[in-house]
Amino acid sequence: MRAYSASSEEALRARDLLKDWAGEGFLTEAQYQLMQQETVCDLRRTNIFLRMVLFLFTLVIVGAGVALFVRQSSMQTTGILLLVFSVFSYAGAELAVSQARLYRHGIEEALAVCSVGFLCVGMQLAFFEGRVYSPAPHAMQCLVPAAGAIASLWIWRRFGLAYSFLAAMIFVVFLPGHWTSSQSARHLIVAAFYAAGLAIVGSLRPRYRFTYFNNEYSIAEALLWLGIYLAINLQLSSVSLLEQWQLWRGAITEFSRPFYWTTWVLTWCLPPAALARGLLRKDRFVIAVGAVTAVLTFVTNKPYLGWPRHTWDPMLLGALLIGVALFIRRWLAKGLGGIRHGFTARRLSGKDKTWMSAGATVIGLVTPNAITPSPQSESSDVHFGGGDSGGAGASSDF
Amino acid sequence: MGLRMTVLTRLEQWKERGIVSPEQYAVLAGLSRGEPFSVFLELNILLYAGILAFVAGLGWTITTWSEQLGDMLVLAVLSAILAACFWYCFSRAPAWSVAETPSPSLVFDYVLYFGSLTWSLELAYIEKRFHVLSGEWDLYLLATTGLFFFLAYRFDNRFVLSLALTALAGWLGLTISHWPSHPGAIQDPEYRQYAILYSLIVGGAGALLQRRGLKPHFFGTYLNIAANVFFWAVLSGVFQSQGYAVWLLALVAACGASLAWGLARRQFSFVAYAAVYGYVGVSSILIRDMHGDTAVLSYFLITGVAMLVMLVTIARRFGRET
Repeated sequence: MRAYSASSEEALRARDLLKDWAGEGFLTEAQYQLMQQETVCDLRRTNIFLRMVLFLFTLVIVGAGVALFVRQSSMQTTGILLLVFSVFSYAGAELAVSQARLYRHGIEEALAVCSVGFLCVGMQLAFFEGRVYSPAPHAMQCLVPAAGAIASLWIWRRFGLAYSFLAAMIFVVFLPGHWTSSQSARHLIVAAFYAAGLAIVGSLRPRYRFTYFNNEYSIAEALLWLGIYLAINLQLSSVSLLEQWQLWRGAITEFSRPFYWTTWVLTWCLPPAALARGLLRKDRFVIAVGAVTAVLTFVTNKPYLGWPRHTWDPMLLGALLIGVALFIRRWLAKGLGGIRHGFTARRLSGKDKTWMSAGATVIGLVTPNAITPSPQSESSDVHFGGGDSGGAGASSDF
Repeated sequence: MGLRMTVLTRLEQWKERGIVSPEQYAVLAGLSRGEPFSVFLELNILLYAGILAFVAGLGWTITTWSEQLGDMLVLAVLSAILAACFWYCFSRAPAWSVAETPSPSLVFDYVLYFGSLTWSLELAYIEKRFHVLSGEWDLYLLATTGLFFFLAYRFDNRFVLSLALTALAGWLGLTISHWPSHPGAIQDPEYRQYAILYSLIVGGAGALLQRRGLKPHFFGTYLNIAANVFFWAVLSGVFQSQGYAVWLLALVAACGASLAWGLARRQFSFVAYAAVYGYVGVSSILIRDMHGDTAVLSYFLITGVAMLVMLVTIARRFGRET
């Protein structure tokens, strides 16, 4: 099922770990060189920037090539041609891996992504005459998102691309709209799909615990936790986002009271469950999702209860987050060697430093804009808005 | 499964062959199993999110309740926060060094960041309420820029360095927040000049400071910001309907320089800038006079393939990671 051999992927994982350990001083340069020679594999990788650019240009080529073919065809012919191109794109991705031995190289990823995109658009045009998505139930039309979800899952399993698992989850969101017009049922169906996925991933994970697969399953599990949470948090999934995109025309009032309050209880139960699972398994991505969903629960709790927001609410949330971080750090630092229950606040990976450096630059640039509700104006009668213009508020007004 | 060489089995073999010591083996085997599990990154993100939420709430509260709270209380609270932050940083900072200095504690960088954001809030409040500089925001930005640069270099803090660079951009009349709110702004030749001047100042200052050995690890931040601003400015000139030739030449020259720098220094973000900005700029001119879908699509097909071949060659020669 996998496009790459287990030994090759395990060797790549070993190389990454060795690089990290050498960077942190756990290995001498001589040791690193010697050990690296024994983890050689035939897969070709490239760095993240070239990977992104290669992905982009492959999309340009495939898009232009396909558009040249289909531009004057009828809708149904276009659909059939797109289905053919879907097969070609997928074959191209397979060839890029089997012949050129590309691994996370951008090219094979773009081809795989195109194959899923062409499949869905092609099916829609060929079999449903290009009818756009409608909230009214059309059972047969669910074949398009179903095919998209299955193809995306296949790409995830075959090539190990984490974002194709996310794509599969997004396709699932479109499924219940074809089966029922009940908003509650739609939320339940999506959550049930994700919960089933979580059960499957959870049962498969233990056998891959210390292998290269672990990271992949970790991301999948984290995404499923997040998906379940978003499906049940009616304040996030019903009104604010999806309704803006015209995907989900539900309103809070459409839900029955028992359903509404059950989801409220669940928004408080899921984050600790995800956090506990992540901490027990020492799973970084699941811990992150547990923390993010916990913050989202705090943020959406007042709207859920119908209470008014206060201007100082973000301050309380900020103080809570800072307090939690400081408490954890102090608690861990008091352990023997700064370690408690297998956790430490110390930096052990060079990757953390790289992320911090890159993040600090980007975050520092966007923060002055992000925290300000209103843009700067040169006129003196604008309202106080905090720091735009990079002065992080120095240029703002009241 | 059982026969596959996992990292743990490899480590065991290396230990048996004496390549790693038993002590090293114990540490590395533990690390590969996530023991101990570091929450360093998570704690940093929590602190950053906490500071951001707190400052946003502080600004929002002051905006809404300044009349009721009164100037004295607002200024007293902001000044107390500011004084506490700066006292903490100055009292706990290690001795200054031109080289990279590790942060004395996990919270240190965030306290400084919090103080910097509070400074901005307080300055904005003072000017609005008391009109000390009669709306001369440029002077505030200049003072803020100077302070942030000083703090960034004194405490070796990239967060504050980025704030300083953004404040400098604001002082020069170039603010990111202007771009979306005034879509035509970047077309304005004046803004373009500001942007180019800004990128030259930032790039030049970064290079000079690196050459002098003053916090040379900041150079990457300077260069990335300068390159992106420069490319955006030049690209906006290329998009003009007239008088774009000089901008096209500038774009080609900048792409060449970026490519050469990226390959020489193995900084592939600059290769990516050259490829993407260059392709967008040159394509915008070449397809301007093309008529018909076939010509345009053929152009993208052919040039896309050419770019892909070039990038694959670069990736094979320079950017290979295995």
